[in-house]
Amino acid sequence: MAKKKDKRHINIIDTTLRNGEQTAGVVFSKHEKIRIAKMLDEIGIPEIEIGTPSLGDVERKIVKEILKDSFNSRLFVYCEAEPENIEYAVKCGAKNVIINISTSDIHIKEKYKKNKTWVINKLREAIRTARQNGLNFIISAEDATRTDLGFLLRLISIASKKGAYRFRICDTVSRLDPFRTFLDISTISSAADLPIEVYNHNDFGMATANGMAAIRGGASSLVVSVGGLGEGTGNAAMEEIVMALRYLENIELGIETSRFREIAEYVARASSRAVPVWKAIVGTNVFAHESGIHVDGVIKNPRNYEIFNPSEVGLTRQLVVGKHSGSHTILHKFKEFNIELTDKQANEILALARDMSVDFKRPLFDKELMYIYNEFKKKNKSKKKEPENQE
Amino acid sequence: MREIDLFTEFSRKAGTEINPNDIKIDDTTLRDGEQTAGVVFANEEKIHIAKMLDKIGVHQIEAGIPAMGGDEKEAIKKIASLGLSCSILGWNRAVKSDIDASVECGVDAVAISISSSDIHIEHKLRKSREWVLESVKTCVDYAKGFNLYVSVNAEDASRSDMEFLLSFARTARDAGADRLRYCDTLGTLDPFETFIRVKNIIDIMGIDVEMHTHNDFGMAIANAIAGIKAGAIYVNTTINGLGERAGNAAFEELVMALKYIEGVDMGFDTTLFRSLSEYVARASDRVLPTWKPIVGGNLFVYEAESKASGVLANPQTYELFNENEVGLERKIILGKYSGVNTIIYKLNALGIKISHKEAEELAEIIRDKTTALKRALFDSEIIETYKSYKGKPGKSKVEKAGKKGGK
Repeated sequence: MAKKKDKRHINIIDTTLRNGEQTAGVVFSKHEKIRIAKMLDEIGIPEIEIGTPSLGDVERKIVKEILKDSFNSRLFVYCEAEPENIEYAVKCGAKNVIINISTSDIHIKEKYKKNKTWVINKLREAIRTARQNGLNFIISAEDATRTDLGFLLRLISIASKKGAYRFRICDTVSRLDPFRTFLDISTISSAADLPIEVYNHNDFGMATANGMAAIRGGASSLVVSVGGLGEGTGNAAMEEIVMALRYLENIELGIETSRFREIAEYVARASSRAVPVWKAIVGTNVFAHESGIHVDGVIKNPRNYEIFNPSEVGLTRQLVVGKHSGSHTILHKFKEFNIELTDKQANEILALARDMSVDFKRPLFDKELMYIYNEFKKKNKSKKKEPENQE
Repeated sequence: MREIDLFTEFSRKAGTEINPNDIKIDDTTLRDGEQTAGVVFANEEKIHIAKMLDKIGVHQIEAGIPAMGGDEKEAIKKIASLGLSCSILGWNRAVKSDIDASVECGVDAVAISISSSDIHIEHKLRKSREWVLESVKTCVDYAKGFNLYVSVNAEDASRSDMEFLLSFARTARDAGADRLRYCDTLGTLDPFETFIRVKNIIDIMGIDVEMHTHNDFGMAIANAIAGIKAGAIYVNTTINGLGERAGNAAFEELVMALKYIEGVDMGFDTTLFRSLSEYVARASDRVLPTWKPIVGGNLFVYEAESKASGVLANPQTYELFNENEVGLERKIILGKYSGVNTIIYKLNALGIKISHKEAEELAEIIRDKTTALKRALFDSEIIETYKSYKGKPGKSKVEKAGKKGGK
């Protein structure tokens, strides 16, 4: 699977603080927002969306405060294509903005109740305000994947002529699979003369795969969020994209991945959502092995069942003793406790552990294993003693 | 391995019709799902899950590992005797005694699993490639002697040398196996790589292929679909994607992605998806995340003005399918991102009519409140907020209050 090193410069822009917070039911406090921005900056995320100034005074105060601080990351704020929204951004001290507008027929007709000409005029107006204020701007086409290609290319050409920094293609309703993404983004990026960025949703579990396909198709930037936090099913998860780029595409972003678990946990708490134990890359179960075959494999050589080392994302490997454990796990576990078992002893303890685990409907804690061991020892002693007594 | 021009190959394939009758689901919630570190199902739960899967319409259920004996064997026996319309499969290592245990359970199909990658052959099995091929041949022969449907599972197929994987497939096919299970054991493929590898196997060996994908890099569903596009006809799924480490391809996600992204409707009763997912979540002692694709509780809940106003005008602005279709409900809640239209709608639903101007003022109050509470408001809080808002403003009232204070 080794691939040639991709020489292109690939960017990611994290939207945990914007679309992540926009998730129904999620609100970050000021301190949480600042802390998350700092963490993302510290691990080397190149660009961060920090908020939506048009939302009101509270949000503007937070955005202003973050913008006053010094960051290595380039900080963006989010605006709908309304001059008023962009002026709010300016008042907060923003230098970089995302200007969003829906481009699909269904959104134009049903949401805006307008037509395509109106969209073009709105966009031009918003761009004018942004330029007058000397802002760096990304144009974001909402529901772009249900948009007529000709119209989309026309908008890209307007954005490009007016000096946009990038053009964002939003797969707002998760319309694409990786193959369609690859074809569409290939077409768009070869016709466009400005960098293309892709924004994915996870409605059918394909956000990360679609993001990666977009990179293959010629996109140079992806929108991500920590843990995939975002409206509905969420967005492409930052940690998945970074690791998939590293291990599947051989593209290195130079991000400090060893803090991924820490950041995932922080965002999880701030958004009142636990990190599922099976969450790809950062879930605690990702490096937990129970089944006899897997544990045996991992003990012999971690590469049998692991592509990268758990410490690379801030996790640790766990060997779990439960219904599917094999005798190798028992031997290995007890070695950790400084107890050497014979194969026969391991098999007997395994049978007891399996029974107990089925009974409890869960794996066993280390303590419980020791209880089993102690009782097992006692029984064996008394067995040995019995014949002596008879003698 | 022969080179395939990706662009032309995918353009052609992207437009290819897949016949829904050709695609079959082999659900392994009861085997690979339960094999997840920390998950144990009670036998009663296993039977209930098997019945639900059958009712929904899956084609095959991988019921467990008969060679484990004890309770596990009893459960498989029971499931095989329920008289379900789907096929029941038992999982085996490439060992004759394992197959004997499957036969004793009365299953009609077996999976014979053995690693095909050099890294597994050297470091896990500590054997040779020849030994692997010999085991495949012997065990398929043996299982076929019992007249069973036989799937040969190439474990760690993705890290296997392609030439050897083809020999592996040929050995299985020539010994009479009915299909080859392509196991992306570590979830390390992307959809493009998957497509090429699976297409090679099918084109060259002409054997039925099943996709078994893992979600380590978040690509389980995309890879399963890539396999189907390359000609695979079986997919090995689990409910909620339950499975080792980051899990497997989620049954409900795959079925809906096939229906709405690929245009392949297998005719399943999807309205049972939410209740099935809830059941498995409880039985596996794992909370169903509210944002879980297809069945999460938050999927049809709207708070942000831009989305809520779109959905209220026409659900198709933000939804590819209706909430009823998967057994969920649509809801509007008020929070930091709610605006005028959302607030008017929500209060109206609570039996309160307000003007545009009132909604604007309320939006600001609600934003402050939700920021302070760090969550959306409950309905009772919304009503309370409205009442205190109505109680306060209007200059005359404020003046009155002022006068009172003055006295």
